[in-house]
Amino acid sequence: MTKNPSYDHTIIPPCQAECPLHMDIREYVDLIAQGRVMEALQIIREGNPFPSICAYVCTHPCEDACRRGQVDNPIAIRALKKFAVKFGGDKMIRLEAETTHDEKVAIVGSGPAGLAAAYYLRKLGYPVSIFEAHSELGGMLRVGIPEYRLPREVLDIEVQRLIQMGAEIRTNSPVTSLNLLFDMKYKAIFVTVGAHQGLRLGIEGEESAGVVDGATFLREVNLGLKPPVGNRVGIVGGGNVAIDAARTSLRLGSREVKILYRRSREEMPADPNEIEQAIEEGVEILFLMAPIKIQSVNGQLDITCIRMEQEEPDASGRRRPAPVPGSEFHITLDDLITAIGQAPQVPKDFRLRIGRGSTIRVDPLTLTTNQKGIFAGGDAVTGPASVIQALATGKLAASRIDDYLRHRYPAISKEKRASMGDLLPRTIEMIRKFNRYEPPIRPSQERVKEFMPVELVYDWEGAVNEAKRCLHCGIGAEILSRDNCAACLTCLRICPYLAPFLDDRGEIQIAEDQCIACGICVTECPANAIAFRKPQEQRRVDEELEHVIESAAKSKSKPLIIGFCCQYGLYGTGALAGLWRETKAGIWIVPVLCIAKVESRHIVNAFKAGAEGVFIAGCDQQQCPRENTAFWTLQRMERSKKMLAQIGIEPERVQAFNLHASDKNLAEALDRFTQKIGELCLVSAFKKEMKK
Amino acid sequence: MIVAEQKSMEEIYRICSPYEKILILGCGTCVTVCDAGGEKEVSIIHSVLDAAQARTGDKPHIFSEYTVKRQCDIEFLEALKDKAGEIDAILSLGCGIGVQSLAEVFPDIPILPGVNTAFMGASREWGVWDERCVACGDCRLVDTGGICPITRCAKGILNGPCAGAKGGKCEANKEMDCAWVLIYQHLVHLGHLERMRQYYPPRNFHTILRPRRLIIKTEINPGGK
Ligand SMILES: Cc1cc2nc3c(=O)[nH]c(=O)nc-3n(C[C@H](O)[C@H](O)[C@H](O)COP(=O)(O)OP(=O)(O)OC[C@H]3O[C@@H](n4cnc5c(N)ncnc54)[C@H](O)[C@@H]3O)c2cc1C
Ligand code: SF4
Repeated sequence: MTKNPSYDHTIIPPCQAECPLHMDIREYVDLIAQGRVMEALQIIREGNPFPSICAYVCTHPCEDACRRGQVDNPIAIRALKKFAVKFGGDKMIRLEAETTHDEKVAIVGSGPAGLAAAYYLRKLGYPVSIFEAHSELGGMLRVGIPEYRLPREVLDIEVQRLIQMGAEIRTNSPVTSLNLLFDMKYKAIFVTVGAHQGLRLGIEGEESAGVVDGATFLREVNLGLKPPVGNRVGIVGGGNVAIDAARTSLRLGSREVKILYRRSREEMPADPNEIEQAIEEGVEILFLMAPIKIQSVNGQLDITCIRMEQEEPDASGRRRPAPVPGSEFHITLDDLITAIGQAPQVPKDFRLRIGRGSTIRVDPLTLTTNQKGIFAGGDAVTGPASVIQALATGKLAASRIDDYLRHRYPAISKEKRASMGDLLPRTIEMIRKFNRYEPPIRPSQERVKEFMPVELVYDWEGAVNEAKRCLHCGIGAEILSRDNCAACLTCLRICPYLAPFLDDRGEIQIAEDQCIACGICVTECPANAIAFRKPQEQRRVDEELEHVIESAAKSKSKPLIIGFCCQYGLYGTGALAGLWRETKAGIWIVPVLCIAKVESRHIVNAFKAGAEGVFIAGCDQQQCPRENTAFWTLQRMERSKKMLAQIGIEPERVQAFNLHASDKNLAEALDRFTQKIGELCLVSAFKKEMKK
Repeated sequence: MIVAEQKSMEEIYRICSPYEKILILGCGTCVTVCDAGGEKEVSIIHSVLDAAQARTGDKPHIFSEYTVKRQCDIEFLEALKDKAGEIDAILSLGCGIGVQSLAEVFPDIPILPGVNTAFMGASREWGVWDERCVACGDCRLVDTGGICPITRCAKGILNGPCAGAKGGKCEANKEMDCAWVLIYQHLVHLGHLERMRQYYPPRNFHTILRPRRLIIKTEINPGGK
């Protein structure tokens, strides 16, 4: 049954389900945990047109959904992606695309939505032109997000690649009429003009000099216009734009930067990490406070503020802030930046139907507008959202435009939803706790001096350790062959997480949402009834062993020693990987993804293939993110030793490294083992001679 | 459930050695449950036999493997009929019953037992089995609080405990609980100590004629006479 599995019963994990691009996060995190960073990057590139950008600024809905968050903290998915992008050599990747269609497509706006649409339309073979009002491409990536969070070099590389792919770029080209584009023989148009118009506070004195909205302020900074900022700056709002404006002001030299937010910290929509970093840098946040009047006095701003209090939560659970009568007070500032949201500004002549909050109205499945051949997406449709959402719409737009131009009925793909339940308290209790490793960040005194990136990239050890924490949701064990199952209850008795259970009919089931794919039951099931939901997992050790045996046969090196070595963590990549490579010729490594997957059969088969010695090396039980893995591996090893002894193979020829406890000096232990095997070989050769 | 234990690989290899083409046959029921002869064990034994052969450089044996649902029921053995022509012997990892069924169905093929059938028992935790019943054919568990003295008392006595019980343990094996102490405690718990106060005359094992046969079907004469 397990010899030739051709099924795939993997369940979409919550991280992937929540990602607007549905990236195969579980897969690339696992590859990083094995140190296979180039392959990780490849998976990332398959799912994301501009991974390096997301690696810096993604709002990572995946992390909010990550089930590891129920145990300790979610996997640092975005930071891991950044690691893969850097160490996988993303910079070097070149892309090309062929033009296979005649119909030209125009994209209005070069934010992430527009760029993504251009990318995918090029891949589909359409000639594409991007029209951008500003002098450079990128939309909010260029004119909104500050450089300390997204180095422009990163954006430039992605734009460059798009140009390599043959997208035509028209900067400084604000589009005023879409008919004009049709006149220019464009057959379809994708409107992604973003949401750049700052919302107004609607209070007296808002027009005073020194009052500016956040989007405008950041745009000016980002376009190098060097807007003058005074020493004392106030920012109104609680979102990411407010935080960005505050931290940018500090970097421009302001001494006192205060954020006024009308609700409390819990309601603040900005990323908690960003808030933390802003406070570290010296930004002061005044909660439950709102400006009600602005007066310009001798070049300074006198702001009348009022304290707010939270009302009881309404039906939707939101607490509305209400002013506390008589609590007015004054603060004096040099500048006031309002960052309470933006709205799209769609030219009238586009003649598109506009809905709530000045957004363009579209059919959410087809992205079609009220006009034939015109599609719209991104912030212009949703109001201010996120880069990843914009990328996903861009991708969707490309396939819808393709459908339209090919006169195809749009193939609406089903929403990818995770059907995985939460972890049960008893499962959580059994999962080993490993705190999230955060990537290093630049010290706050240093970082406010310039626009250098705040967050740095993991080193190998940090990334691998962080990636190892992934729970492998949805690729765990299942009872694949009911027919084989002898109802022996082995799985029920040995699962550290109590995932197997007996259902109402007395049949054994494995709860897919409690299984974290340690593989103990798969290897222990005496009936071979259990398999991984992902067949590759199943085949891996057999295939790798076969491969090693073949290569070893070719090289004819003697004595042949086969080692089953865990590829997770530092065995795969770190100091220990070098150890294997440096060891004497004759040692062949079968890479395994956790030694719990090594079966007795594998150990014996190594001897069958002529090995003189076999060892198993993996993490000791303290390092392994799964429970009891070493225990079961040692059980099987002892069993194999016993059987081998009965056919005359000395038990000393089988050894475990590191499984009982950390072997302090692995190199030495391995040397001793090789020496021992050498001696045993001599003795048995001698015995053979004697027999003759 | 029947509990069996694998024979040593040395013995298995030895009994296989006269034959060239050997089918290693697992059983998917009791011996799977007790980790002695299920599909997984079949493949391990297969590997070990191959390894032994590779190292000794003996004349080549060709081992193959297969597992049926239950070796004791001959209908399950039908599936092997196609293979029968190509094999010289069957190494059965089934219990003694399976081996005998095979011998009956394949009279021309030697059947080699790969396990020692041990007892009828139960497992309370992974990897540990305890004997619980000797199939005496005369069940007295009603009087002994559901604890079988024939099986679990080292001496199999009917009116225990003997004088050798110390601290609840058996004199024959200090690790083992005295079955009669357990019976006593359980009867106290159930409020049925009077059952232990009776005297049980020795049983006459000679009345059991072996092999036993059990028939539940009734002779029906369709003629109606
Ligand atoms: C300060 C700030 C920080 C942010 N930080 C993050 C973050 O960390 N993570 C995250 O995920 N999201 C962040 N966002 C949100 C994110 O940038 C946007 O959701 C995203 O850029 C929207 O993409 P878009 O393509 O829809 O529009 P935009 O990026 O806004 O691009 C629209 C483009 O269209 C151009 N345009 C407009 N009108 C015309 C016209 N008539 N003709 C030609 N061109 C035109 C504009 O110049 C602009 O370049 C941030 C936003 C801001 C403002
Ligand atoms: S633990 Fe891994 S697979 Fe599960 S949601 Fe988090 S990243 Fe995805």
